[in-house]
Amino acid sequence: MKRALLVVLALVATAVAGCGTDEEESVLDKDQIVIAVRPDLPSVGFRRPDGGFEGFDVDVAAYIARKLHKQATYVAVLAADRAAVLTQGKADMVLATFTIDQKRKKDVLFAGPYHISYQDILQRPDESFKDVRDLRGRRICEVKGSNAAERVVKEREVAAQVVPFDDYNGCLAALKSHRVDAVTTNDVILAGLAAQDGSGLKLANAQFNEQRTGVGMRRGDVAGCEAVNRAITDMYQDGTAKRLLDRWFGKSGLDLSTVAVPQFEGCS
Amino acid sequence: MTLAPPQAHQPPQPPPPPPAAPAPAAAPASAPVRRSVPGRIRIITGVTVAALALLFTALAVGSATAREGLRVIGRDAGPQVIVTAKLYLALSDMDAQVANVLVMGDQYAQPRKEALERYDEQRSRANEALMQALSLADTDAERATVKSVLDLLGRYDRLAGQALLLDEQSGHAPGPPPQNVVEAYRGATKLMRVELLPQAYNLTLESGTIVRATYDEKDVMVPLLRDAVVLAGLLALGCLIWLQIFLARRFRRVFGPALLVATVTTVIALLSGMSVLGKDQDALRTAKLRGFDSVLTLAKARSISNSMQGDQSRYLLDKDWADTYEHTFLDKAMTVVYFDAGNLRTYHQKVATGSTDFLGLLGPQLVGKQGVDAHKAYRAFQAADARFRQLVTSGRTNAAVAERLGPVTTAFDAYDRALLELSARHQAEFTRAIESGEGALDNLWRLLPFAIGGIGLLVIAGVWPRLKEYR
Repeated sequence: MKRALLVVLALVATAVAGCGTDEEESVLDKDQIVIAVRPDLPSVGFRRPDGGFEGFDVDVAAYIARKLHKQATYVAVLAADRAAVLTQGKADMVLATFTIDQKRKKDVLFAGPYHISYQDILQRPDESFKDVRDLRGRRICEVKGSNAAERVVKEREVAAQVVPFDDYNGCLAALKSHRVDAVTTNDVILAGLAAQDGSGLKLANAQFNEQRTGVGMRRGDVAGCEAVNRAITDMYQDGTAKRLLDRWFGKSGLDLSTVAVPQFEGCS
Repeated sequence: MTLAPPQAHQPPQPPPPPPAAPAPAAAPASAPVRRSVPGRIRIITGVTVAALALLFTALAVGSATAREGLRVIGRDAGPQVIVTAKLYLALSDMDAQVANVLVMGDQYAQPRKEALERYDEQRSRANEALMQALSLADTDAERATVKSVLDLLGRYDRLAGQALLLDEQSGHAPGPPPQNVVEAYRGATKLMRVELLPQAYNLTLESGTIVRATYDEKDVMVPLLRDAVVLAGLLALGCLIWLQIFLARRFRRVFGPALLVATVTTVIALLSGMSVLGKDQDALRTAKLRGFDSVLTLAKARSISNSMQGDQSRYLLDKDWADTYEHTFLDKAMTVVYFDAGNLRTYHQKVATGSTDFLGLLGPQLVGKQGVDAHKAYRAFQAADARFRQLVTSGRTNAAVAERLGPVTTAFDAYDRALLELSARHQAEFTRAIESGEGALDNLWRLLPFAIGGIGLLVIAGVWPRLKEYR
């Protein structure tokens, strides 16, 4: 009879084990996770000379990893590759000013948003753009993989000339040498660039589009996405979000008077 | 069910031999050493009772697991979705009513009064929903969120009141109010949209998370426990039969009526246990996949849509932020019904084609006649929005206000009603599934004690007289 009991137990055990391996892989099943961050955005996601990363996104990533009890390693990702690093399995999470939109949701599951920013305009000290409409007929730079310039031309239907660049360094150099007239994207990115540059480039405070910055995850990892959402809720409730925003953007001129947990996109 | 046959036996005989003529010479099945007959009866009876205990433990654990699943999904997180969605809608509508009043200006005395009454109604609805949400909250984070909404709501009231007062004092014509009113309203609406509404929405999502996690766990555990019930049941039946065969052979009786009845009762308990657990698994599945998922999605769609219509008034009211409000309107519209469109004009055109090939929250939901109705209502709402925006951009402010308060609102209400009807159908399916699952469990739990007691007594009744013969 003992043997029979053992058989029963063995059967149950195999059944349980079998169910465990059937499920899609979630970040929750891993001990070590790889998080992709931007290497090119000062104050947001930036590669230091020593090879480490720093910035708001990096700190948020570290907080989430800690809440999930995971060891995190960081890799650099440029705007154009954010979805690909997830679908190709090179990263488990992407925190790289990744704006949630419905088109991207076909490939990527978004946790968060962990921050709401607005689209804004960075200009030379001698310019005076106040509004997105002021960009009509002017040259604006577009960084590959970012949809910010497209939003000006298509969504707001402002006929600006779009000049493509590989990265923001190229954009900024072109802005200062009058090859373009404005750089437009998330206000946090612009604030970081302006602060690093230090030559007096200024924000227009035009705030014309709401940008919901989310955590990119693999499609299907619903449990992981929900856990990240809970971590983000904690981050706002325990005051970490306010501290991090103050740390990275406190002196940038961004309006940080209201720091509140954003409305989540939902994981299903 | 492999009883260890003694190694000494040459032919590998199955342990419970078929009921044949008593074989007095045969060695006892379980021990090479000859044991006394009462001792062996006690051992076999003990094993049988242990197997029966295993069966009923498996049944108890299985049904408790299913009940827990039905409770969390049906009585806790499920209703919480409804309550928090109600909260969101009430809050969102409060802000929309304030925006409406602010564009009415010195005309529209009666609509203004109605809008303010509606504000008060929604305010008390929000209070009620908050109370319920607090009683349903499971985690500290949820409670903290409810508390934070309560605190902020008082502040919102004050800011909205200021904006309304300034507006009344200004006595402006229909359309955008003076700058000081706009600024006062900005404070209020920012508080609502940036702080209050997200928290209410996230509460709804959190309930969804609880349901999903519970369902995923139970969907694995319930079938597993059902298998355990089957195994334990077969084991118990095998033991009962073994006991009867042993007694029949030892005491030359063909039937022990008490043990026979015990066996039949065990079969019944096993079959009804299997059936109830099977039913509960179905009930959980139906409640989650056909009921809850749609109720949650439609609640999200209604919430987002409601704040969309608020964005229309805000677009009209705040010139500086008009671009952002137009963008958030488009963003929300695309969340609900997604067509690939770079701007709102293109979006309107794509919606107007009537194509049903779209993604977004409502993508999989708009099926059946009610779905078609809801889709039609959404198209009418977007068409009204297109007309409204045309009036705004062509500078016909009076007509735009009239359009917003008249046809646009009517179209939105019809669309919202259509979603509500769709949701009611899934809600009914959800409630039915939960109730049928719970009903099946109730019956099982009512019968289980009798089955346990009855079988116990019958086993004693079957074995006791035999043991007595040896005294």
